[in-house]
Amino acid sequence: MRKKTIYTILVLSVLPFFTSGTFAQEVTKISPYVTLQYFKNTDDQRILQTTLTYSKNRAELPLSGMEISFFTGADKKESLAKVLTDNKGVARFELSTDFKLNSDKDGMWSFSSEFKGNDTIASGTSEVTIKDVRLAMTLTLVDSIRTISVKATVIESGKEKPVSGEAVKVYVPRMFSLLPISELTLNEAGEASVEFPADLPGDKEGNLTLVARFEENPAFGNVEKRETLKWGLTTDYSVPTSHRALWTKTAPKWMIYTLSVLLIGVWGHYLFALISLIRIKMDAKRKAKEEYRI
Amino acid sequence: MEADRKLISDLTPEIEKTSIKWYVTFFILFAIFSVGVYGLYQQISKGHIVTGMRDNVVWGFYIVNFIFFMGLSYSGALISGVLHLFHTGWRKPIIRMAELITIISLIIGPFFIFFCIGRLDRLHFLFLYPRIQSPITWDVIAIITDLAGCFLYLYLSFIEDFAILRDYPDLKVAPWKKKLYKTLSLGFTGTEQQHKILSNARMVMAAMVIAIAIIVYSVLAWIFGVTLQPGWHSTIFGPYFVIAAVFSGTGLLIILMWIFRKIYHLEEYITQRHFVNVGVLLTVIAAFYGYFTFSDYLTKWYGSIKMDSILIDKLFTDYYSLFIFANYIGILLPCIIIAFPKFRTIPNITIAAIIAVTALWVNRYIIVIPTLETPFLPIQDTRPDWITYSPTWVEWSLTFAGVSVFAMLFMLVSKIAPIISISEMQEKDKNEILK
Repeated sequence: MRKKTIYTILVLSVLPFFTSGTFAQEVTKISPYVTLQYFKNTDDQRILQTTLTYSKNRAELPLSGMEISFFTGADKKESLAKVLTDNKGVARFELSTDFKLNSDKDGMWSFSSEFKGNDTIASGTSEVTIKDVRLAMTLTLVDSIRTISVKATVIESGKEKPVSGEAVKVYVPRMFSLLPISELTLNEAGEASVEFPADLPGDKEGNLTLVARFEENPAFGNVEKRETLKWGLTTDYSVPTSHRALWTKTAPKWMIYTLSVLLIGVWGHYLFALISLIRIKMDAKRKAKEEYRI
Repeated sequence: MEADRKLISDLTPEIEKTSIKWYVTFFILFAIFSVGVYGLYQQISKGHIVTGMRDNVVWGFYIVNFIFFMGLSYSGALISGVLHLFHTGWRKPIIRMAELITIISLIIGPFFIFFCIGRLDRLHFLFLYPRIQSPITWDVIAIITDLAGCFLYLYLSFIEDFAILRDYPDLKVAPWKKKLYKTLSLGFTGTEQQHKILSNARMVMAAMVIAIAIIVYSVLAWIFGVTLQPGWHSTIFGPYFVIAAVFSGTGLLIILMWIFRKIYHLEEYITQRHFVNVGVLLTVIAAFYGYFTFSDYLTKWYGSIKMDSILIDKLFTDYYSLFIFANYIGILLPCIIIAFPKFRTIPNITIAAIIAVTALWVNRYIIVIPTLETPFLPIQDTRPDWITYSPTWVEWSLTFAGVSVFAMLFMLVSKIAPIISISEMQEKDKNEILK
């Protein structure tokens, strides 16, 4: 009877460890976020970028090593490439300049990317429709006033037409991020301009890079133009070595003297203690010799 | 060098034979240590993401433990140095424990820095490219200097005991131990000349370890003090840290006195008088420590600098319980227990010491963490749970591993050397000490 009770308790206490596996529901697949973006850089290179992520504990985490398929075309999809995501969950594909893209009747290009999914991650797709825009940036210096002018046009029915009412942002790259200079709105002629500040530090020759951008524009995607010119203040970033300070290579003399005096003082006393140990040892040897003679 | 059998048996209980209790205790401590090693393996293989440290709070339990153990070490040096230098009569049974606290804590403390550093592979850069302007460099130099000095000081105090153990004919120990005693005793035979040399060296080193302890712990405090962070940038931090260290070290000394007295039946040597004397020392230091704490927070509160006000508000809201325990209960309760003669029993004094040591550890926690949770510039687009700190099991396991290593090293020392100095105890004023 007692044995039976013990077995029952044992079985009941072990049972919970099996139940979770035995009666477990089918594992829910991870729902990924698939985001397709279009980039056109200053050299007119077109890049399709897909980011594959998922949400865990309110954090967005990348899915790396996953195959992403890129397509072009709206109704009839044409495969462009298959690319694996990197450790940030990003798969990039650069469209070669001689690749002919088919546009629809409104002159729009359609792109899509697809993740087919696997046993643990669900599938997902993302699409963008892009109109090719030409962004130009002109930098002029008149009477020491620096002016940035931007112009955006699109080709419609074989003719160049201005883009109006859209926002173009102007930045200057700094050490960690882009410094916003202005947000311009294009006029009827597809143009906008702004005066550039004269007090921005550049490199040691005064060089600065200016960036004009369409950012996440629903029609044009991410399109940018970059120019580098000497519009900044010349700045010497080298660490001064001519004087002693907390921030220079050589320490102030008082620090060196204080540290030296302290260390010599302390280690000098250690030396005294070590010499004392040697003297004890020598005294013991001398005594042993004397005893041996006796 | 001669000593009576009883004294040697009483003060070297584990040298000749190892008790079952010793093995069991050591095994339990080793198990705790092993969990810590597994935690460290997890941290090395997966990175610091397994800890609670994030973008804001980059110093967590590890730095708290580092400061705590270094404090214990410096206080051990201060206490033993002062007791030795002033020839305090009742010091003899406890001075060895203070010396061992110094060395063992000093060995363990820096390991927590290694746990905290993300790029251990770059550790040697500290020596290859040192900058005298950096407080971290001061600390590296200070710890190395302190470690060398404390080892030397401890060794000087052991020489006579090694000579006694070497010369004692009935000592039943392994031949390697006999050889060890012979080598380490340096041929000391107790001549007048040798006594004079040794006494002078010990006096000099006792004075040195006091000075070094004050300087080195101040250096550690200045790492905080020279940083322009709310709660840290304080001129009082140097002396405040030194007092706090002595407070915790005195408390730990009482705890160890109680443990050794209980385990090895040293009631004859460690008497109530020792507990009361060290307890009174703890009370006096607690008063100073409380004064420094009050002074530090009062000036910050009255100054009403925005960030200081935010920090103090945080201490009295999010950290209310810890703050009250560390700075009110942890200071006042030991004072009350020891101040009234009728409460001055050995268990009461030991409880007061446990409260003091725990409160001091919590004090270190509320110095380090809330400040880091109160940055001048908030990090943008970060998750709220990354701003606040919460220790993980890895940090807890390594903390307990540190405590277990502390105990294990004490146990290992007891296998080789006397836990109370035989030479000190057999001096002619022994009867007076034991009175």
